Amino acid sequence: MVLAVKAVDLKIGYMDEEEKIYWAVRGVSFQVSESEIYCIVGESGCGKSTIGNAIAGILPSHAVTSGKLYIYDKKVIDNEKMDYTGIRGRVVSYIPQNPGTSLNPYETIEEQFYHVLSSVYGYDKRKSVETARRYLAMVELDPDKVLDYYPHELSGGMQQRAAISIALATGARIIVADEPTSSLDAHLRLQLIRLMRKLRDTVRLSLILITHDLVSAGRICDTIAVMYAGKIVEEGRGSLLLTEPLHPYTQMLVDAVPILGLKKPLKSIPGEPPQVGGEISWCVFRERCPVAFEKCGIHPPELYIMERKVSCWRYMNHGAR
Amino acid sequence: MNSIEANIRGAAYLVRKQFRKMRFKTGLAIVLVITILALLSPIIAPFPEEGLGYIPENAVAKARLPPNPVNIFGTDTRGRDLFSRVLFGAGSALVEILIVVLTSLSIGIIIGVSAAYFKGVVEHVLNYLIELFVSVPAIIIALALRLAIGPGLYVVILGLITTWWSWYARITYIYARSIVEMDYVVLARLSGLNSLKIIYRHVLRNTIPPVLVQAVTDMGSVLLEATSINFIGLGVPLNSPEWGVIMLEGLPVITIAPWITMFPGIFLLITALGFSLIGDSLREELDPRMRRRWRLWF
Amino acid sequence: MSINYVVKRVFWCILIVFGIIVFSYLILIFSPGDPAVKWAGNPRGPYASMAIEKAREELGLNDPLYLQIARFVYNVFNGNIGDSIAYKQPVLPLIYSRLQSTLELLVIAYVIAVPLGIFLGIYSALRRGSRSDSLIQAVGTILANMPTFWVATGLFLVFSMSGISLYGRINTRLALSTGFHPITGFYLLDSLIQGNLLVFIDVLLRLLPPALAVAVYPLGVLIRLTRTLMAEALLEDFVRVPVAWGVRRDIIIWRYALKASIPGVIQISGLSFAYSLIDAMVVEYTVFGREGLGNLLYDALNYSDFRLAIGLITVVAVFYLVVNTLTDIIQALVDPRVRL
Repeated sequence: MVLAVKAVDLKIGYMDEEEKIYWAVRGVSFQVSESEIYCIVGESGCGKSTIGNAIAGILPSHAVTSGKLYIYDKKVIDNEKMDYTGIRGRVVSYIPQNPGTSLNPYETIEEQFYHVLSSVYGYDKRKSVETARRYLAMVELDPDKVLDYYPHELSGGMQQRAAISIALATGARIIVADEPTSSLDAHLRLQLIRLMRKLRDTVRLSLILITHDLVSAGRICDTIAVMYAGKIVEEGRGSLLLTEPLHPYTQMLVDAVPILGLKKPLKSIPGEPPQVGGEISWCVFRERCPVAFEKCGIHPPELYIMERKVSCWRYMNHGAR
Repeated sequence: MNSIEANIRGAAYLVRKQFRKMRFKTGLAIVLVITILALLSPIIAPFPEEGLGYIPENAVAKARLPPNPVNIFGTDTRGRDLFSRVLFGAGSALVEILIVVLTSLSIGIIIGVSAAYFKGVVEHVLNYLIELFVSVPAIIIALALRLAIGPGLYVVILGLITTWWSWYARITYIYARSIVEMDYVVLARLSGLNSLKIIYRHVLRNTIPPVLVQAVTDMGSVLLEATSINFIGLGVPLNSPEWGVIMLEGLPVITIAPWITMFPGIFLLITALGFSLIGDSLREELDPRMRRRWRLWF
Repeated sequence: MSINYVVKRVFWCILIVFGIIVFSYLILIFSPGDPAVKWAGNPRGPYASMAIEKAREELGLNDPLYLQIARFVYNVFNGNIGDSIAYKQPVLPLIYSRLQSTLELLVIAYVIAVPLGIFLGIYSALRRGSRSDSLIQAVGTILANMPTFWVATGLFLVFSMSGISLYGRINTRLALSTGFHPITGFYLLDSLIQGNLLVFIDVLLRLLPPALAVAVYPLGVLIRLTRTLMAEALLEDFVRVPVAWGVRRDIIIWRYALKASIPGVIQISGLSFAYSLIDAMVVEYTVFGREGLGNLLYDALNYSDFRLAIGLITVVAVFYLVVNTLTDIIQALVDPRVRL
């Protein structure tokens, strides 16, 4: 199996002007194969967007890194060093969360396609417009109603679809999508999911989907990784993870999802996620965990149970619950 | 702890933070030095009466001397020690700045907040006045005042205040407008709370800091404007201890005695720079994004 | 751009000019002393009382205030301020004739300052945090705080010491002997139109020192401003995301970051252009002996010429308003999000 993305003990933090580092990602290791849809879910601030940025190559300049990140065998992060030459656009593309601020307000959509396509493939204007039309059609946008317009002249949903089509037009084989469906209605959301699946099957696209929408994740993802406070606490095959969660946090996330038609009390998860900050040696979930015990003073290692990866002391003895 | 104390503590923390920055320290040092020089000028100046403008006895013999051990900056056209004049000029400069900025700030903030808070006719009228006075440069008002009233420092000060208050009023107005729309202010008004209390507690607290920072940065510009008004002869009469006027006096003899015009100019530049540095340093606090370490990351 | 906007804007500007004229009149009336005397220019001598009476009639000081104001404003709007005391000519045409000299100076100064300031700003933004950046920004800060008249005097000194006299606007003897005559009033243009290279060079050389002096302030401001705006723009989402899409670095810099900085640059440039008029006025006559608005300002002061002062106030105010309006319009043209 060819590995599209591989992270080995990746840590990412942000440095402020006083040289203090706030760790957002505290050491994660995972792999994404070709032709796989890999979801990272978690609450805000858990570090999932940071990982997405790391893969896409747009970590801000005040970010500090350690560990390794490989994209198709190229080491893009090697401890403190970062090298994304040849990766951005060509190999990895990015679908932003907020398309309104991600499109250049001073250029038309056609121009923005041209900037991307001429940079990545050297297309001229004509070829770029041709390609743009094709990709706009994929997201059900009428090119004539979009190409000559400025971003602010389009609706939020159209902006998002335009951004998605530009991201796809790069022809990259890995796409990082950060909450891509937030401004889309249910129909478009479904269309997008279908499109992603098709791309996965036809061009062996790897999709890294970052979301807090568990339900959609369960429906579309091959693998789901649950993150909390900068660590992956559980990772496993799509829907199984949600029907049979192992980690207490996953359990609580699943319980908190309201299900249409089913009358059950709305459960929320008590407590607050820990502030992004310094080193933590104990289990990151300890403070909010309803079933924490003495062993939780040290962060648990990753344990493999069948095809699942869990980071919880309760599973020390395989098969125990 | 009540709100005033909280504000002062917050401000003190911010100011203490500045001390790590070279810029701030340099700026503050400059301003402090100039202030001390101004305050101590009667004592430090080697020829204090000449500093104030009095002409010495052997004026003709002492006129237009280049810098020498007795007169470190040389003498001016009437034989007065230039260094003493410049020292006393520092005092003028600071007085000009302080009066103008403090007065325009007070008037400006009050009017700006009132315009934002009391909507309707009041807002339109005040807005009109603000835009009106923003569109006139101080020197022109100073000209009119000068012709109407006669020479003197107050021409400069009044002229400047008339223009600058509108500048602060506009800034305050823009800030206050958004604050006034905020939920907590709307709620406070609806619940019948005393208007003045609302204005103070909510609106002023949030609009004053950025305006204050702007005012500090502006102090340099005020000084430069005031001095140029005096340079063209619109303000204080000749022979006064004021940098602009000294430079004006030196103009006819610029080729034979350039120091007369040059030295006060250096002081002007340095003083304006000092305020500018302090203001810049404070302004960085208001915009957190620019503080992080940076490199061209792509 | 809608006609609606332009109309509203023009109307607003007229209203403001109106207010300024009223304000000036109020200064005249309510300041200590006899307004008629001031309006007549503090005359002395045998014909003084006649002049004062004439002024009193002109202003209609016996009428109620609102009538006086109305009359005054009406006259000013019609260009009828009377004859300048210093020049014995009608005020407004006098001002217009001198306006071109000052404008020429301003334009040349900004032609120098704006491209240079923007370029240095971009240069240092791209190297943010480096030594060159700190150096350029330090220079920018110093330039922005330099007193223009000090720089002007310094430049004048330097040129005089090297024996070059750049006093005045043009070498009249040269102009006459080469058959130069003003057409538009902008001597640079005129000399080009007439193909008179000698005069062109002469005028240009005389323009340079004052232009340099006036250019110092906007140069400093733009160096700092451009760098700040560019550096901010480079942190924005609409720069980061296209980078993730693989857009080339030079496109990002010029068409994304720079384009985002332009509106701010235009706005501040416009603001400082209006401010520089005053700078230019202060410097052009007292230091360089050029005839222009500065000359008029100086004479209005020395001859107690209130009429000229009113004329100057009005023209300068109109200039400010025109510049501000044009700046807003240009900004709107450049920014597709703003549709007036």
